[in-house]
Amino acid sequence: MDTIDTPQGTGNIDEEPIVGTANYTQLEMAEIAESRSISPLRAAARRFARDKRAVFCLAIVLIIVVGSFVFPPIYRHIGPTVVGGITGTQHVGPNDYHDPLNVDLSSSDTSGTLFPLGPNSMVHPLGTDTIGRDIFARLLGGVNISIELALMVEFFDIGLGVLLGTLAGWFGGGLGLVLDRFTDIVFAFPGLLLILLMGASLGPLFDNWFHNNAVFGRMLLLTLAIGLLSWPLMMRYVRGQTLELKERQFVEAAHTVGTSTFNILRRHIVPNVLPIVIVASTLNILATIVGEAGISLLGAGLQPPATSLGLMISDAQSKIYSPTAWTEELWPCLVLIIIVIAFSFMGDGVSDAFNPRMKD
Amino acid sequence: MDQLLSSLPAIIVVLLLVGVLAYGGIRVGPRFLIRRLAGLIFVLFGVTFITFILGYLSPGTPVQLLCQPKCTAAGIAQLNHLYHLDLPWYQQYGNFLNNLLHFDLGLSFTQRGRKVLDILGGGVPISAQLGLTSLFFQVLIGVPVGIIAAVRAGTKLDTASMTTALALFAIPTFISIPIFQLLMVYLSLHNLPFLPVSGWNGLFDIHAVGPILLLTLLGLGFYARLTRTTMLEVLGQDYVRTARAKGVRERVVVVRHAFRNALVPLVTALGPAVAFVVGGAFFTETLFQIPGIGFLAVASISNKDMPTVQGTVMIVAIAVAFMNLVVDLIYGILDPRIKVS
Repeated sequence: MDTIDTPQGTGNIDEEPIVGTANYTQLEMAEIAESRSISPLRAAARRFARDKRAVFCLAIVLIIVVGSFVFPPIYRHIGPTVVGGITGTQHVGPNDYHDPLNVDLSSSDTSGTLFPLGPNSMVHPLGTDTIGRDIFARLLGGVNISIELALMVEFFDIGLGVLLGTLAGWFGGGLGLVLDRFTDIVFAFPGLLLILLMGASLGPLFDNWFHNNAVFGRMLLLTLAIGLLSWPLMMRYVRGQTLELKERQFVEAAHTVGTSTFNILRRHIVPNVLPIVIVASTLNILATIVGEAGISLLGAGLQPPATSLGLMISDAQSKIYSPTAWTEELWPCLVLIIIVIAFSFMGDGVSDAFNPRMKD
Repeated sequence: MDQLLSSLPAIIVVLLLVGVLAYGGIRVGPRFLIRRLAGLIFVLFGVTFITFILGYLSPGTPVQLLCQPKCTAAGIAQLNHLYHLDLPWYQQYGNFLNNLLHFDLGLSFTQRGRKVLDILGGGVPISAQLGLTSLFFQVLIGVPVGIIAAVRAGTKLDTASMTTALALFAIPTFISIPIFQLLMVYLSLHNLPFLPVSGWNGLFDIHAVGPILLLTLLGLGFYARLTRTTMLEVLGQDYVRTARAKGVRERVVVVRHAFRNALVPLVTALGPAVAFVVGGAFFTETLFQIPGIGFLAVASISNKDMPTVQGTVMIVAIAVAFMNLVVDLIYGILDPRIKVS
């Protein structure tokens, strides 16, 4: 983390950090001095709340995340019963035609029915893809899978990163060296390449192990692959922070009183490592979502019949010249753009909240 | 004699490596060099091992494919022996390494009898053309933008250019490219000038303009921001203040004093960037249908052609590791303090 002490600060005296207490601004230090103590996390939350742009993006992110879990079942009840289906005369309800896995070749590549507004506008609001699956349903499903994968990866990443980072930072020496060498190898591999390789070579293996649930198998593989690439960075951050915390007086005090190493780590080090873990996780979640979409686009990630935004883009590649179906490629791109922008600004807000930096 | 000739490429490369390292080593001192070399060798072992293991664990083997249409047990055993697949894994790894040193990346599984090296060899020049040209333009445009933004820090020009750069850089390539392609299709349908969205006919052809333009726009943000940050740091230093106090013209201050020192992190960033050029821009090549090394790797994934995938990964990872070493050496030459750390 860079804290460049240049003579030029910002104009805002409230925002300038005091050397040595990087988590508190002067305003907060004043409040603490009045014996109203705020934990760093709460101070950061307050600072985050003051950043309108970040709060707005957090709202968007929450809508997207919660929506992708909550809305699909609701969506399967919205819409009229249409006459169609494979034979052309069946009565198909929204439970079927809003199912992202429902293949219906009789209505492939239709354009969105949302406009003009009418009784049938909710049938396929954004159209269908080449094999007749509703695009909006697939978008919801794709976002859902991306979020699930991101959460699984974060679980792995934070767990391993915090555990090994605190141990390496506290005990130092051999463990640190070994992990350094290991992370060197991981960093030497361009990340995408390694995930591609793992997806290609181990994919069929996982498909066989989980033959009843191939989607889960692939997700597990992607979790392992992406997690393997992310935890070294998290471990480095945590180790750096642990090294810094080790020298603090409250740790020395705990040590003097006779607190066991395990308890020092548990009660003092780990909670104070949380800020940097939160910041790193936010960015990592974005990287996972984008990474999964990219890998699936190249064919090494999730396989059909799973829904993935990347798969949607690659399926729609051949349709860009079609006057009705060209939007198939547009929607997943737009959704990804919204996700990227929202997460980026939110991540900026989170990082600023924990490290009030001089606007430069 | 044959043995010697077949090892000739490896010998030449080794001599080149030794030459570069000798020059660098003399400049930076033996201890620094030995440490970095040891690190490189370790990384190379790790990379080759991981690549080998992933290929070893992959369930598809060529044997099932090659013994068609009549697979007898004896035939399978013979093929296994021919491909050395019946050896224990450490011996197979040894063979793998040995072949690597002879620049033999194996035979393709799906393209019968073709050497992986030949397949990839066709793709490397194309990827190199695409990547190096884009890199050249990214730096050519990005660095001056960064310098100007730094010199005019805090103005509207600064914020506007940096926001644009960040926006372009943050959107992943595989999203920007479809948007670009849709835009081109729209232009072509309305009889407006457009660029072709797929195919490759060499570097000086209209088909190359789209990919290079897009890669340049998307990538220059990185160099613009990097240059701006380092320039700001340097411009705050005392020696710059001294130069100004001495009455040196502003432009000379910026170019000769400030920029020279800001060059170091820039060079550091360029090293891995060049190595990634070798890897080929996967998304660009796949979406634009450019037959570079990235496109070949992705195609061989769909074809389950493991040796080609392994070959690509190896080439890129080794190139990156080697470039990191070269960058370390350059860094050590440019900034003698590094050697002591």
